[in-house]
Amino acid sequence: MPALAERPPLICLVEDGRTTAGRPPAGHEFHSGAMLGSVPPMAIVEVSRLTKNFGRLRALDQVTFAVEEGEVFGFLGPNGAGKTTTIRIMLGLLHPDGGSVKIGGHDCWGEHGRAARLFGATLEQPGLYGYLSGRDNLRLFARMLGRVDEDQITNLLALVGMTERADDKVKRYSMGMRQRLALAQALLSKPRLLVLDEPTNGLDPNGIHGLRLLLRRLATEQELTIFFSSHLLSEVEELCDRVVVLHRGEVRAAGPLSELMNVKGFVYRIDVSDVARALEVINGMEGARAERGTLKDSVMVHAESELGRLINHALVSAGIGVDQLVRTQRGLEDIYIQLTGAPEASPLSDPTGPPAAATA
Amino acid sequence: MTLFGQLVRIELMKLWRSRRLIFAVLFGLFALIALGLYGYYVYSSHRASPPPQTPWRTLVQQDLHNDQQQIQNLQRIKEQAPGGNVRVGGPFGGGEGSIDNVIAGLQRAVRNDQYLLDNDIAPVQAVPITLAAIFGLGGIIMFLLTRIFGWLASEEIAGERSNRTIAILLSRPATRSQVLAAKAVASFVLGLAVVLITFVIVYLVLAFAFGAAGPLAGRAAIVLDGNKPFSPDNMIAIPIPIVVLMCLGASMLAVLCVQGMSMLISVVSSRSAVAIGITLAVLFGAPVLSGITGGIIRLISGQPNSADFLKYAFFNVLAPVDGIAGSIGSVGNTTGRGMDEFVRQVATLTVWTVAFYVAAWALFYRREEVS
Repeated sequence: MPALAERPPLICLVEDGRTTAGRPPAGHEFHSGAMLGSVPPMAIVEVSRLTKNFGRLRALDQVTFAVEEGEVFGFLGPNGAGKTTTIRIMLGLLHPDGGSVKIGGHDCWGEHGRAARLFGATLEQPGLYGYLSGRDNLRLFARMLGRVDEDQITNLLALVGMTERADDKVKRYSMGMRQRLALAQALLSKPRLLVLDEPTNGLDPNGIHGLRLLLRRLATEQELTIFFSSHLLSEVEELCDRVVVLHRGEVRAAGPLSELMNVKGFVYRIDVSDVARALEVINGMEGARAERGTLKDSVMVHAESELGRLINHALVSAGIGVDQLVRTQRGLEDIYIQLTGAPEASPLSDPTGPPAAATA
Repeated sequence: MTLFGQLVRIELMKLWRSRRLIFAVLFGLFALIALGLYGYYVYSSHRASPPPQTPWRTLVQQDLHNDQQQIQNLQRIKEQAPGGNVRVGGPFGGGEGSIDNVIAGLQRAVRNDQYLLDNDIAPVQAVPITLAAIFGLGGIIMFLLTRIFGWLASEEIAGERSNRTIAILLSRPATRSQVLAAKAVASFVLGLAVVLITFVIVYLVLAFAFGAAGPLAGRAAIVLDGNKPFSPDNMIAIPIPIVVLMCLGASMLAVLCVQGMSMLISVVSSRSAVAIGITLAVLFGAPVLSGITGGIIRLISGQPNSADFLKYAFFNVLAPVDGIAGSIGSVGNTTGRGMDEFVRQVATLTVWTVAFYVAAWALFYRREEVS
């Protein structure tokens, strides 16, 4: 774990939507609308001060959030952030070292049987019996719930687009087909909550698009609560109402997606004749922070307020040619990178460029 | 059907669907052995139909007659020998030793046989169904079957981890205790079915060899104290169906014990290949190691009974039925076998079995499924 001072500060959304930076003091309880802290009355998932250690490694550190009934909830974080650990605790596969997870008010470890009747889940690597057909897998999983409804199985196979291959052995399935069958398995219990851990793994673009449509349909038509864990931001951005960003076992941000993406100021992409000098000029301005852009001869500027004209003027005054200045929509990716500081450790980051800033 | 019943059904279905090939090979092997024995019988006796019926009374009478003949022969030898000091070797039923001791042993065997005939008590291996119980439910057949059951049971939990289905299994409403119990029950039920079928096959083969199905009622004699010679005072007459049930119960206890051990290994293993490897290494390797260790202990101590405690290591009591084998009729030497040994082995096996299942449950109940 990095020292406290090295970590990016937490971004906590409070009830009025304003963003504040900092860590919650010990024992602090946030208001219900904030998702961090105390739990809204209609929450189907209540994660409270969840802590989990694996030996000396702290995988989860006082994680607290809630998921309200009927929403599509994004659970974001880089690999190793603690997403799967949280989900495994929700499913009753791990027990927490501190705090609790409740589904529908039932503790996931102590009252596993009751909690388990409320959710269906798929994990990152879908577990299926290869020696059985897809249909027999569903029959078997249905029996674990105490009943087998052949019509429901047929309907679910159709829903996930597996009717044609339903009677083939699962060992002959592609990864994408396994994912789809795993989704059907998760829906067998007619759950109130659908927990999906990286469900698009192995799906082709058509499959991803189809899954997105299906999940939206399930959320709107059946009012299903969807807990969607992923590190693919585009999926979350398109699908989710609210998100939690987890990093190194801690909640870095939580809130409605729209608020999270709008409260952070402006981003400009500027194509210039001299990148090094442009960075120097812009970083010398108050309220603006520039970094090398991913495109050739471009810089990315993060500004707290509308500074486009001022930046343009400053660059031109300094004798730097400005080919283009574009104000871009602040994407979830920017927020995410800012919160997790991922590019710093990423082998994909530009080795010649400056390390990306990780602070707000 | 209750949730637990459904879980047992699921486990049976999984065992059957995933291991159909093993069962097919197993029964194909049985069929081949039976066919081979039959072929040998036809070849050697020049007939395809069963031999003439041999009732147990006839067998005992023949045994009694042979013993009387031997006594007469030995007495003639003794009279001809100078000083009467003659030592006798193995071929005589009375055992080895001085000629007087052998004659005394044979006379005791004659009295025993006569006692069995007078009281209508069958020697336990002279009746097809009790012989099938001893041979089919003990010895080499059970030795091999328990290894197969151990292998299958070792995959129960570890196999779910290898398949990654453990997450689905444990995230369903069933409790971990129910999941483990369902797997144990399913494994046992499957084992019972295989053992019963094996027993029926062995019985049919023996019934053919005896020329008749033999009595299914009546009583059979079993030695009480295996360290003393068989005699009317050192035997118990048990109804034949009870003998069969006793052997079946002891064999299934052995199966349960092996499955418990395998389940324990399965619970702590993260991959099925590891669980199978450890289980088979224990089941095949431990008896060999125990034999070598026992031999060394006996060699060092010079006492033949000094390594007897090893008999109660679980892998040496996998088939307590073996404890009653051979303790019948006129057979003189029954050392280490008899009802007392049977009871001791059943008790030992019960303790091991309970310990294995309790340990498996305790570990599985709190075990975290990390990946």
